Amino acid sequence: MFEIFSYGFMQRALLTGMALSIFCGIISVFIVLRRVAFLGSGISHAAFGGVSIGFLLGINPLLAAFVYSIVVAFGIEQISSRGRLAEDTAIGIFFSSSMALGIVLIGLSSSYNIDLFGYLFGSILAITNEDAMTALLTTLFLTAVIFVIMKELYFITFNEELAFVSGIKIRLIKSVFLLSMAIAIVVGIKLVGIILISALLVIPGAAAQMLTKRFHRMVFLSCLISLFSTISGIAISYRFNLAPGGSIVLMLSLIFFIAFFYKTRLKI
Amino acid sequence: MRAAEIENLTVAINGREILKDINLHLEEGRFLGIVGPNGSGKTTILRAIIGIIKPTSGSVKIFETSPIGAINKNIFGYLPQSQKIEINFPARAIDVVLMGIYSRLGLFRWPSRKDITIAGEMLSMIGMSGYENEPFGNLSGGQQQRVSIARALINNPKLLILDEPSTGIDVVGQEDFYHLLKGLQKKLNLTIIMVSHDIGTVTSYVDEIACLNKILHYHGSPVGALNDAVIKELYGKHVDIMMHTELCEKCERLHSKQRH
Repeated sequence: MFEIFSYGFMQRALLTGMALSIFCGIISVFIVLRRVAFLGSGISHAAFGGVSIGFLLGINPLLAAFVYSIVVAFGIEQISSRGRLAEDTAIGIFFSSSMALGIVLIGLSSSYNIDLFGYLFGSILAITNEDAMTALLTTLFLTAVIFVIMKELYFITFNEELAFVSGIKIRLIKSVFLLSMAIAIVVGIKLVGIILISALLVIPGAAAQMLTKRFHRMVFLSCLISLFSTISGIAISYRFNLAPGGSIVLMLSLIFFIAFFYKTRLKI
Repeated sequence: MRAAEIENLTVAINGREILKDINLHLEEGRFLGIVGPNGSGKTTILRAIIGIIKPTSGSVKIFETSPIGAINKNIFGYLPQSQKIEINFPARAIDVVLMGIYSRLGLFRWPSRKDITIAGEMLSMIGMSGYENEPFGNLSGGQQQRVSIARALINNPKLLILDEPSTGIDVVGQEDFYHLLKGLQKKLNLTIIMVSHDIGTVTSYVDEIACLNKILHYHGSPVGALNDAVIKELYGKHVDIMMHTELCEKCERLHSKQRH
């Protein structure tokens, strides 16, 4: 079983996975409490548009996806905060039009050997040393940033207006939060893929919320659930030759349903 | 000192005038009730006072500074309209009270043991001791309002702003809540601005009343506001006002008395 650690690609997958899952564990708490799960899946699907622009222009697809996701995240935020469109409508439009842009541009681009499936569902074999290091450094840095503003983010999540009146810089905090979501998505593309990354953004927080009503415990549990699912998902996929991205997400879902039934049983 | 000085305030949102040419002054230590029908701009005027909405024209001064300046000086204690807190939101009563000092603590620092003790004292001051560890979402509407008052007061604000605080609380709870506010006003020398649609109840607790419906119809003593002409102008038709106060005996309908 432990030979899993002797392969370079597995080491890179585990390293990326662990860094990403701790980071996702933290922000997923806020995604669940702020009820922006749909925003998370909207931005991640939109990242597909960015990937295809990268291919077409011949630049790093992940870098293009990163820039594109940020533009989409702030675009949705701007449109809905001005009250011209409901947020879920704005997300629905950006989401589908970016996917459409993606598939049209990929059809146009000259390279035919694009691993489309890998971008959509993850491909840990494609994680390079550079990818793993970038993932580790960005998520470590952002985890530290989120820790610095966690109390403020918690307050804004409780009530934005209140936070504003008591002197919290809500624009800054919200921007950092959106940026964090976009980065988590891009880092997660190679590990679990565009379609599955939203699971890491939503399920750990949702499962943790079933188990506690204390904020700090919820953050801790969310990280733990996310970390455990990622490591065990990768190990199971290796052992039984399954898709790693799918295994991680199924593991997360399993834990969520256990937590869910645990909670509903306790209520009876 | 003047707690609030609103001069020629006009607010238009998406081209629609919500408030027009409002002039209103409030001295420190007074309790002002703002009443008016739904959609009369009550919440908008509060939002202009606390700086969430910028005036289209005119100005708002709070303790001789701008609303944003007042935010930075921790002048406001604020209770927004119904809080819509999810029942599973991970916050205990004491966590909510402590949110009041977050901006003062600065980044990265969480409340200390001493802060937690102070928050506990605030809870017992408003009659909620023993509820420290209770999840906020489990509390009743009235209890949540009390905890919110403790949160608003923990930073020693000079001006307490309340938007329809009685929404979702039963009548007995409301009266208790207004009594609590009145007591706090005297004890802490607070200036209070409270918005409500319930003109009858509010009249008996406030020092001054402002009747608002896009323009300011009346500002002065509470009894004067019960004048039929003012009520008619405000609500567009004759309305019976129910009073709950020593001003009227045993909560009788007042309108017949006011007519003469």
